[in-house]
Amino acid sequence: MPDLLSIEDLSLGYNKKVIYKKINATASDGELIGVFGANGVGKSTLLRTIAGLQPIFSGKIILKGINYRKLKLKDIASSLSFVPAQMNRANNLSVFDMLGLNCYFRSNWLGKIEDKDKDMISNALKLVGLDNYGDKNSAELSDGEYQRATIAGALVKDCPIIIFDEPTAFLDIANKYQITELLAKIAQERGKTIIFSSHDLNLAIEYCDKIWLMGYESFYNEAPQTLKNCGAFNQLFTNKNILFDPISNTFHKGPQ
Amino acid sequence: MGISRKNNTGYFTAISIAVAIFMLSDVLLGSTSISLTDLFAAVFGKKGPGPINDIVWLFRIPKMLTALLSGIALSICGLQMQTLFKNPLADPYILGISSGAGLGVAFFVMGSSALGLTIGSSLGMNIGMAASAWIGALVVTFIIISLSHKLKDNLSLLIFGVMLGFIGSALIGLLQYFSSASSLKNYVLWSMGSFAGMTTVQLIILAALVLIGLIISIYNIKDLNILLLGEQYAKSIGVNVQRTRNRILIVVALLAGGVTAFCGPIGFIGIAVPHIARMLFKNADHKVLIPASALIGAAIMLLADIIAGLPGTSSVIPINTVSALLGIPIILFIILKKK
Repeated sequence: MPDLLSIEDLSLGYNKKVIYKKINATASDGELIGVFGANGVGKSTLLRTIAGLQPIFSGKIILKGINYRKLKLKDIASSLSFVPAQMNRANNLSVFDMLGLNCYFRSNWLGKIEDKDKDMISNALKLVGLDNYGDKNSAELSDGEYQRATIAGALVKDCPIIIFDEPTAFLDIANKYQITELLAKIAQERGKTIIFSSHDLNLAIEYCDKIWLMGYESFYNEAPQTLKNCGAFNQLFTNKNILFDPISNTFHKGPQ
Repeated sequence: MGISRKNNTGYFTAISIAVAIFMLSDVLLGSTSISLTDLFAAVFGKKGPGPINDIVWLFRIPKMLTALLSGIALSICGLQMQTLFKNPLADPYILGISSGAGLGVAFFVMGSSALGLTIGSSLGMNIGMAASAWIGALVVTFIIISLSHKLKDNLSLLIFGVMLGFIGSALIGLLQYFSSASSLKNYVLWSMGSFAGMTTVQLIILAALVLIGLIISIYNIKDLNILLLGEQYAKSIGVNVQRTRNRILIVVALLAGGVTAFCGPIGFIGIAVPHIARMLFKNADHKVLIPASALIGAAIMLLADIIAGLPGTSSVIPINTVSALLGIPIILFIILKKK
């Protein structure tokens, strides 16, 4: 049986210029995958390319055995939810209506959603801990609450793969833990494959099944423990004075 | 499930009643006041032809319908442009679409006189002005849409519109220098905006344009709601954003282009009305905002037309002056409230 998603020899780039080469990775059902790399290395570009929002520079992405080049944006969108890093907030858009937007292809021509989907929205809100938030103005939620609402939205879209670009950026440490834990829970209980980019390596090592590491020298597609053992995390920085400490799962200044 | 959907029916009823009252008042009030009895007599044909009958049928009712259609058209254009550009100040006037139309008219009216051409009939003049305004508006709309991904923030968008306006007035100034007094007057009258003097054919064309624009706008509702969360998100949902953008472009070209062609550039209604609708209904859903903007736009435009007619006096002030006086305070309020 083919992998749910497999990436073969993918290069990322804009305007004929390559920014990252030789990405080989896979994702299976129910996996929680953290994407790591220094700022500007191409994490967002990779996620946007997988979401079909960016043309493939070279190489292949294969979804359920079908090459992306044979798929339309609509086909990709039906298997995959993508939550961008900076989501617009619309004033006076209720949380319920915001989640309802994810039923685009299941609602009628005016966007009216069915009862079945209404139940789905209530359940998704319950799962992310926003039980009574349906009627609230989405623009007035806190950053952590808004992030949880977008996660619920991705659940309402009901696709096997969910991609989040930096879901824990701008959150405090308590919220970072809550969100990562929530992602792990959804992957485990709902069997969703979740791919998210982040800078919180210690959290990812704790929760992720797999890490896609966009190192300076090469790309890794391994379990956190394997990467720890082979010292691959040191590839996150070109600065040789900053080293990964496998005991605390964070970075330290190395010996001078 | 909206935030305060229970009030919607009440608001819609109240605004509809206001529109009906303003429609009636717009026909009754003016330099000659018409009594309700006379109006009924004229409308239901109890009296034969007479001066009141003529005023009602040839002047007041076409003017009232033009104001009504323009209010609907400009408001739903402004709403859709604000959502598309994610910019609260986007509207056909600010973005220079009216400047483009003005330039088109100026080229036609003054260019033809500068070249020594004479347009024989006033009908030819009317059609020529409307067509050239439309072409001007279309050209600017296409420029804006093709540059829209670079005009995301408020500042660059506004500067772009203001610059287009400057280029327009510079070229118009040049044309004025070479043109005759009578053609200059034609241009100036058009640029002040007016709902009067529409022929039946023009009114039917405008009504058809507004109807088509309204139908496409209603079809746009679902995509406009998705655009609230950003273009990226809309694409990730699987929406063909390019196609949605093109449909909004067509609406703007039909509606703003059509109104500007026949009535002249009318500012500030397109920006102000969608904001009033959002504030009143406390809802971002375009299922509510499209009909709300259409109704509020109609009410405000009719009110502006009543005021412009200076009831009880024999003089009339340009509709553009009234729409600015009504619209600008609302826009300032929005800007100050955001800070």
